[in-house]
Amino acid sequence: MTVFGITLDRRTLLLVASLLMAIGAAIGFHLIRNQRIADVLAVIDITGSMNARDMGDPKGSQDRLEAAKSALVNFMQDVPCESRLGLGVFSERISYLLFEPAEICNNYDAMEAAIAGLDWRMAWEGDSYIAKGLYSAIEIASSLKSDLIFMTDGQEAPPTPLSGIPEFDGKPAAVKGIIVGVGGSEKIPIPKFDDEGRQIGVYSETDVPQENRVGPPPKDAETREGYNPRNAPFGAMPATGDEQLTSVKTAHLEDLARITGLHYAELQHVGALAPPLKAATEPRLLPVNTDMSYVPAIFALALLLATYALSLVEAAPFSRLGRLRNFRLTPHHREGNLLHAS
Amino acid sequence: MIFTNPLWLYLMPLALVPFFLALQKQDGYPALQFVPLDRLSQGVTWALRTAGAVAIGGLVLGVSGIALRERVIQRFGQGAHIVLLIDRSSSMNDTFAGRQPSGEEESKSAAAKRLLKDFVIERKHDRFGVAEFSTAPMHVVPITDHKGIVLNAIDAIDRPGLAFTDVGRGLGMGLSMIDEDVLPGSRAIVLVSDGVAVVGRRVQESLRTEFARRPVHLYFLYLRTEGSNSMFATPPPGAEDTPQALPERHLNIFFESLRIPYHAYEAENAEAVKAAIADIGKLEQTPIVYTERTPQYDLSRWAYALAAIALALLLAAKLCARTLKPSWGNAHVS
Repeated sequence: MTVFGITLDRRTLLLVASLLMAIGAAIGFHLIRNQRIADVLAVIDITGSMNARDMGDPKGSQDRLEAAKSALVNFMQDVPCESRLGLGVFSERISYLLFEPAEICNNYDAMEAAIAGLDWRMAWEGDSYIAKGLYSAIEIASSLKSDLIFMTDGQEAPPTPLSGIPEFDGKPAAVKGIIVGVGGSEKIPIPKFDDEGRQIGVYSETDVPQENRVGPPPKDAETREGYNPRNAPFGAMPATGDEQLTSVKTAHLEDLARITGLHYAELQHVGALAPPLKAATEPRLLPVNTDMSYVPAIFALALLLATYALSLVEAAPFSRLGRLRNFRLTPHHREGNLLHAS
Repeated sequence: MIFTNPLWLYLMPLALVPFFLALQKQDGYPALQFVPLDRLSQGVTWALRTAGAVAIGGLVLGVSGIALRERVIQRFGQGAHIVLLIDRSSSMNDTFAGRQPSGEEESKSAAAKRLLKDFVIERKHDRFGVAEFSTAPMHVVPITDHKGIVLNAIDAIDRPGLAFTDVGRGLGMGLSMIDEDVLPGSRAIVLVSDGVAVVGRRVQESLRTEFARRPVHLYFLYLRTEGSNSMFATPPPGAEDTPQALPERHLNIFFESLRIPYHAYEAENAEAVKAAIADIGKLEQTPIVYTERTPQYDLSRWAYALAAIALALLLAAKLCARTLKPSWGNAHVS
C-alpha cells in the first residue's frame, strides 16, 4: 500500500505505531482514580488507669498508653498518603485538641514524635469521666468534619453514677468512627505515682471512690445497712468494690458506642485500627492522579521489538533454506538472483 | 537515581537486540566483494543500531520509573529553632477588652493564632515546635521543619482550653523540647500568655538551673487584657506588690533575673502583637543549619522522549530505505 509515495509496509506501520505510543508516553497519560483516604481525629485517654500494664505481646510488656500509641503509629503506616490525622488527649471530662488533622506522609516524623510525646503526666486531673470526654471528642471531630478514634480503657473514675451514663445531646452517628477499648480482660491493679513521677506501688481499695454518690440513690437503697432517707440515702456503710482494679470495660464502652452511634473495637482482639475504622466510616474519596504512562510505553516497546523480530520470521536472503528453495536452474535464475532473492 | 519499579530493568538486555537483528528488510545481493568499503554506510548502520538500542533502553528505563532521589540538602541560613509556648487557658478566648468575642472583635487566641501562623509561614528557615500549657503542660509538636503540622497545631489554639495557667511547668516542657532537639543553632522560647499565675519558689529554682544549663533566648509576649495590670508598671506606693497581687510583673522580674537574653512585650491589641512578633523575627537572625528538601523528580518522561526521538530516527531511516526489488509501476530500482 502506498500513501503519498510512501510505501506502508509492515515495518513502517509498526514503527509509526511505536513512535506514536512513545510520544504518548512522553506527553503523559494520567488516570484520575478515586482513592479512599482516612481523615480522622485520634483522642487518647491519658488518665491513670492507662498506666496499667496488660497489653503487648507477651501480655504485660506494654502499658495501655504505650499500646494505644503504637497502634496509632501503625495506623499511620496502614493508611494511604493524603490521609489526615489529628491528635487529642482526654483527661478529667473533656478532650483537648493538640493539633488539627494534618497530612500524614509529609509530617510523618513530627507526628510520630508528637504521639510518642503523649504522657500521663499531661493529664490535668485524676478524674476520668469517659462518657463526657467522648462527647466532647465527638464535638471536636464534628467541628473538624473528621472521623473519630477514641482510645480508652473505659475505666470511669469516679464510677458511673447509679442513674446511668450521662445523656448524649448530640446526634447519634453524625460523627462516624470507633471507640477502641485498650486493655486486657482480667482485672489488674493500677500503678500509683508520687509527685516526682516515681511509681510507689498500686492503688488500694480505699484510695479510689468505689461508688458514685452524686445524684439519686439506687432503687434498692432501702435494703442497705443503715439506710436513712435523709441522713444516709446510700446506706451507712462505706462502699466496697474493686474499682482499684482495672480491665477494659467492654460492656460500658459498647453502651457508649450504641448511644453515640460509633462502632466498638477492642485493641487486644483487632490488633490494627485501620480495618475497623474503614468498616465504621463512610468512604472519603480523594481523586488521585495516577501516572499510567507506562501502558503506552510498554506497547511502544512491544511494537519496536516486533519490528526487529520480523527479520527472524521472514527468511533472510541467502539463508540456506531460502537458497535451497530458490535453487532452480531457470533462465530467470541464471540471469542472477539480484532482483528475486527472497 | 532510583527506580520506582526496578523489576522492569530485567528487560534491559533487550537493548542489545538491534545489534543482532536488522530493522530493515534485507534484500539479497549476489556478492559484496566488488562493492567498495563505504565508511558512511557502516556509520549509518551503527547509528541505526545505536538508535534502536536507545529507543528500547529509553522505554525500559521509563517503564521502570527512573527518577532522581529526594534529596535533603543542609544549608546555612539565618534563623532559629523556636518553641512556641502557648497559653491555652480559657481566658485566652476572650477579647483584648476582656469580653466574650462578638462578631467584630477577635479573641486573644484568634489574634495570636492568625499572627503566629503568619510568623511560621514567613520564617522559611526556622524550625518550630509547639508546647502548650494550661492546668498541665502539653507536649504538642516537637521541634520540626515540617511546617504543616505546626500550623495545624496553631490552628487548634483557639479551642476551649482548661481552667488554669501553670506557666512554670509549661516552661519546663518547652525546655525539655529544646533538649530533645539535636541540630545546632540558636534556640528560643516564645511564651504567649494573657496573664499568669504565681510560679512557686521550688519551680522557680529548678527553672533557674534549667535555664542556666543551656543557651536559650526567651520572649514573653503578654497579651494584656484592657484594664489589667501592666507588667512593667511599678505599683503606686502603698499598693500591694507581691507575686500574688501582680503575678505578671513578678514573672517579668524573675525572667530578668535569669541572666539570659530576654525580651518582654506587652500587647493590648492585634497590632501590638504583630509588632512584637516582627521584633522577635528581627532578633532571631543567628546563623543556622537548615535542611532543604528537593523532592523526588520523575525522569521517566525524559526517558520516553529520548526513546521517541530515537524511534523517529529509525522511522526516518525506514522511510529512506529503498528496496532492490523491482516493484510494479513506478519502481524505485536503484
